[in-house]
Amino acid sequence: MTLFRKPVSVKGTLLLLLLPAGIGLIAIAWLVQGLLLERMSREFVEGRLKDEVAFLEHHIRQAEGQIDMLQTGDYFEEVFHHAFAIKSPDQTVISPQSWSPLLSPLLQPDEQKSIRVNNAKISNAPSDILAYRKSFSVKDIPITVIVSEDMGALQNSQAELHAWTAIVSILLIFLLVGIIWFGINQSMRPVVSLQAALKRLQSGEISRINARAPEEFRPLVQQLNQLLDSLDQRLERSRDALANLSHSVKTPIAAVRQILEDTERALPLALREEMAARLNDIDRQLEAEMRRSRFAGPQVGKSAQPVKQARDLLWMLGRLYPDKTFELSTGVSEERRWPFEEHDLNEILGNLLDNAGKWSRRCIELSLRETRGQMRIVISDDGPGVAESALGSLGTRGLRLDEQTPGHGLGLAIVAEIVQRYQGSLAFTQKDSQGFVATVEVPIERRSD
Amino acid sequence: MRLLLVEDDRLLAEGLASQLEKAGFSVDTTRTAREAILLGEQEDYRVGILDLGLPDGNGLDVLRKWRSSNASFPVLILTARGYWEDKVNGLKAGADDYLAKPFQTEELIARLNAIVRRSEGRVQTLVTAGRFVLDENRQNLKMEDGTEHSLTGTEFRLLRCLMSRPGQVFSKEQLMEQLYNLNESPNENTIEAYIRRLRKLVGPETIATRRGQGYLFNDAV
Repeated sequence: MTLFRKPVSVKGTLLLLLLPAGIGLIAIAWLVQGLLLERMSREFVEGRLKDEVAFLEHHIRQAEGQIDMLQTGDYFEEVFHHAFAIKSPDQTVISPQSWSPLLSPLLQPDEQKSIRVNNAKISNAPSDILAYRKSFSVKDIPITVIVSEDMGALQNSQAELHAWTAIVSILLIFLLVGIIWFGINQSMRPVVSLQAALKRLQSGEISRINARAPEEFRPLVQQLNQLLDSLDQRLERSRDALANLSHSVKTPIAAVRQILEDTERALPLALREEMAARLNDIDRQLEAEMRRSRFAGPQVGKSAQPVKQARDLLWMLGRLYPDKTFELSTGVSEERRWPFEEHDLNEILGNLLDNAGKWSRRCIELSLRETRGQMRIVISDDGPGVAESALGSLGTRGLRLDEQTPGHGLGLAIVAEIVQRYQGSLAFTQKDSQGFVATVEVPIERRSD
Repeated sequence: MRLLLVEDDRLLAEGLASQLEKAGFSVDTTRTAREAILLGEQEDYRVGILDLGLPDGNGLDVLRKWRSSNASFPVLILTARGYWEDKVNGLKAGADDYLAKPFQTEELIARLNAIVRRSEGRVQTLVTAGRFVLDENRQNLKMEDGTEHSLTGTEFRLLRCLMSRPGQVFSKEQLMEQLYNLNESPNENTIEAYIRRLRKLVGPETIATRRGQGYLFNDAV
């Protein structure tokens, strides 16, 4: 069971956290203030009572224990505004008289201490007093002195003060709520503008978000803009590809159809061959554009498991070229992921391995390594390799150095294009003895353009 | 030589069938997955051509059905898609070769002859040791629970060597003979790396180390 529905907005959460906390803290401060006030006034009164007892003692000692020699009556009361009681073995003086039922029970010659009496139900005397008692002897006459103060009045004014503090605290709480509200609104303002920018983006008024986002949201905005960029690029690319395609495909189709529609015309061998050539053109174009549009390039949130993919491809090629052996040597752990889109990595590995498989005599080795932020794919074979002069032109679209082996002459061009998209490098080297090595190096962290 | 052609495009199927007949095959043609499964299971073909996009099913499922019912004739897959992962999946499902459309008939026939030739001397060669079955033709390892792991060349040769005589200790030098490497001097570390990889597949106790002597395959585990 939940008491509150968890608020989803930042504003709601902040209010829900800050408000009760603020109110609680002020309430605690008010309570502590009350306790301190109480303690302070008591200590203050006690101090004064002690002083007065000392004063009385001084006078009694001067009068050498003769209490009636003291100028009693209203004198002390007028000086102190406090009630007092003096007791010697033969006399008791209590002033004012009305307090005597309250004070006389306290006049035991006991240890000196302050005494608190609450709720004494005696008419004409206060119900709540603080008294200080001291016993001493003058010329062997034991004397006990009590000075007391009516706490009721003090407490009343204390309560009044406390009440005022409460009122001020409540005002402070209102002020606090106001400040919190203001602060939240102020700090949420950039988010609101971001929200507005998103809305405008959705309705097509703007094409990129350029609102001044707070620091915390800047990566989000950046990512979003990058995503929009890549979306635009992709759309543009696929439109270009389709335009290219329809341009280069429709003409041969028209030509072939023309020939087929002409029922009068015989189909001599030369014409058949020409038609087949046109269809081959279509196929080549289609394949080239499709493979171009198929690879994704670097994608946020996409990664591939190079070892697993390499294993699958090596196994597959091992089945297709049963008399050749495909080996894997890896310094990368089985579970490691590389920031490649899966298709793209397959295309790189597949094309290079397939080429190596076609040309090798017996053995192909794929090596996956990771060094200093570089992903390194090396594919070497023990085939005849490529003439030094032709190394540079490898990977040119449509160039086929091997006219006999089937293929579109696209593989290396595709690999080169993908590697370039990942800001990496593709190099071919001829081994001294025999064999051919293709090396792909791609940085793990891409520079953002 | 009896050939089963599974292709749903009538024009392509007819054209292919007549060209294949000319090349000496006796061709049965079907256009549906359902019929293909039945024919493959009942008839005795030497080779099959299988299109992946069939109107009533996926060609890979047909292939898996054939393989699970011990129809072991070699199969060449035809498809319009040339993705590498499609090729991998096709071969994993039990195909022997793969050709993307469009293709030239000569190439198709050459490939068919190649897979027929390859399958000729082929007998069902399974090496069984303990809980594991090593399929020599498909170069993969079948576990007790039916999952299959494909092996690279050296992994396969090493495992075959060890599994061929369970309990016998093979020295590193003996195992090194199974190693084909482009490097001139393969060393013992390479063997250790391969053993580590194999242990990951079969479990650490299955391939035991005899210190100073070598390794053995423990089929009792």
